[in-house]
Amino acid sequence: MASIVLSNVDKIYAGGVKAVNDLNLEIKDGEFMVLVGPSGCGKSTALRMIAGLEDISGGEIAIGEKVVNHLPPKDRDIAMVFQNYALYPHMTVEENLAFGLKLRKMPKPEIQKRVNEAAKMLGLDQYLKRKPAALSGGQRQRVAMGRAIVREPQAFLMDEPLSNLDAKLRVSMRASLNTLHERLGVTTVYVTHDQVEAMTLGDRVCVLRDGLLQQVDTPQNLFDKPVNLFVAGFMGSPSMNFVTADLVRTDGGGAAVTFADISLPVPESTFTEKAGLDAYIGKQLILGIRPSDFEDAAAANGHSGTTGWARIPARAEVTEELGSEINVLFLIDAPPVEHKDTVAAKDADEDEETIPLAGDKSLWTSRVNARSHVRPGQNIELIVDTHNLHFFDSVSGLAIGHPANAGR
Amino acid sequence: MAVPSKRPRWSPFAALSHAALFVWALLVIIPLLWTFLASFKDNTEIFGDAWTLPGAIRWENWARAWETAHVGRYMLNSVLVVAVSTAGTMLLGSMAAYVLARYRFPGNRLIYYLFVSGMAFPVFLALVPLFFVVDQFGLLNTHTGLVLVYIAYSLPFTVFFLAAFFRTLPASVAEAAMMDGCSHTRTFFQIMLPMARPGLVSIAVFNVLGQWNQYLLPIVLLSGDREKWVITQGIADISTIAGYEADWPGLFAALSMAIFPMLVVYIVFQRQIQSGLTTGAVK
Repeated sequence: MASIVLSNVDKIYAGGVKAVNDLNLEIKDGEFMVLVGPSGCGKSTALRMIAGLEDISGGEIAIGEKVVNHLPPKDRDIAMVFQNYALYPHMTVEENLAFGLKLRKMPKPEIQKRVNEAAKMLGLDQYLKRKPAALSGGQRQRVAMGRAIVREPQAFLMDEPLSNLDAKLRVSMRASLNTLHERLGVTTVYVTHDQVEAMTLGDRVCVLRDGLLQQVDTPQNLFDKPVNLFVAGFMGSPSMNFVTADLVRTDGGGAAVTFADISLPVPESTFTEKAGLDAYIGKQLILGIRPSDFEDAAAANGHSGTTGWARIPARAEVTEELGSEINVLFLIDAPPVEHKDTVAAKDADEDEETIPLAGDKSLWTSRVNARSHVRPGQNIELIVDTHNLHFFDSVSGLAIGHPANAGR
Repeated sequence: MAVPSKRPRWSPFAALSHAALFVWALLVIIPLLWTFLASFKDNTEIFGDAWTLPGAIRWENWARAWETAHVGRYMLNSVLVVAVSTAGTMLLGSMAAYVLARYRFPGNRLIYYLFVSGMAFPVFLALVPLFFVVDQFGLLNTHTGLVLVYIAYSLPFTVFFLAAFFRTLPASVAEAAMMDGCSHTRTFFQIMLPMARPGLVSIAVFNVLGQWNQYLLPIVLLSGDREKWVITQGIADISTIAGYEADWPGLFAALSMAIFPMLVVYIVFQRQIQSGLTTGAVK
């Protein structure tokens, strides 16, 4: 096992396209690092450079203290799981698993032992004599994992390994991946465009966009403290609601954000948490509210009285019932935020809203408890947890008061 | 192809294509059958009504072709030459095609187009210089010389075809092999070649047929040594063996003998052309 360190790594393709731009990333020993971002953000390229399948245009990659820039893949002691599995079609499962070990001139009994162990771990014992063509998608995926496991490498590299599986299988494979990592404790770099996979699998998640690193942090921190509009919009499903708002002083001496005909009080604590926010008083900024920070006032009597919860009356346009929760889509009388970051994050989101917007209004999503029983067309009183408001600079798109943005 | 089930069973297009296939099948089968039947006829029957069956099964035609015309020896020569040159063509052609299809290096396209232009070059134009080149190497009237020329002659189409085929194979399998510790050479021989089997078999069959039927190159390069003749030369010789009075039944018997091995090769290998061989590799 080993750490992987990328220092100022660049990848420039013929034609001058910069796929990876000055990437600095330290993956700790035994860590599960997820690279996530919309397609074309350079995450796969970064992974392939670590693997040695792509040349490095600039910078340095070190695996376990050793600079590997010019080492061929086979000498880097890493194993990779490919999106399309890339099994050897003319070999049986057993031969597929043993192939890498045979090439390393390992004694036969040891090969047999490792293959059997891996097969057992992955539940492939009964398929050892079959060829890949006779396996289901999930089984092939497990063979691909097994091929990496038997090698006992310093690190696993996984390039969207679950994206070819159907939804249900993907969820169960995700869980097995988690247990597997816990058991083996091998440094893992995992590439995905699916932010749910990123959140659930990663010890830390690295968000990339256009070859530029946006933020590296634990999943919870990414969710709670996104560094800019892009990360805020990309992480979390349904994605964060944005609106251009004014931060103002109220008559009582407190502060509030106003947009459309709504005014939300901003608690004093927010100003202490977000250094520099007070400089925006009297100015425009972009306000972000997570759908999960809404609640139906009628169904959540407990909250409505306490401080820090503000009310927003709304009319439910669409409701998506998820069993335990309901996504309520409603219109806000303010134009949608057209910042380059929110647009980029939207593009990446697969379940894009397709409702034609009525006039110049933005469609917001709130996630309320299923007890609310709200139906489309009904009026609903929503309450907002004002402690969790997110503020972004309307020009740069950076989160106001985020430690990483201090001085930018 | 996409939705065959939705198409009406007997659309005009399907009917037309079936008719065309039927006519084509007749065009191929009738001459073959006629050759085979003619090998049992005598001269009068051959020049009589083409639709009559032979009056008797005259095996002596076959015996005469085999013994007096030495078809047996010529056939052995042909098998030897074609086996070695096809093997050589496939080895060199697949290696060149793989590198041209999968590796980027300066001059890649140039070499590729050089190969491809070889297909457009008529062999007749090269015949005289070729004769002198082979002579200079001291390979005239040797099987080695013929084999080398066959390989060179077959490479352009082989490379053209296989390069296209290698491009269709998933690159990730080769990458997986590299990660597993394969060298480039081993990746090619142990992973990519087995995956390319359907393509290799198709082009091998094509080369065997082409080289087996080759007549022009042997008469230029082997004419001096009767012992080394290949089957096509032997058959052509039958028609002149008796001066102006050609032995037509013997000729047809020899032709039938020459056709049979090719039919066998084709039938055996045809079953191996399974397009679905890469299923299971990816996805």
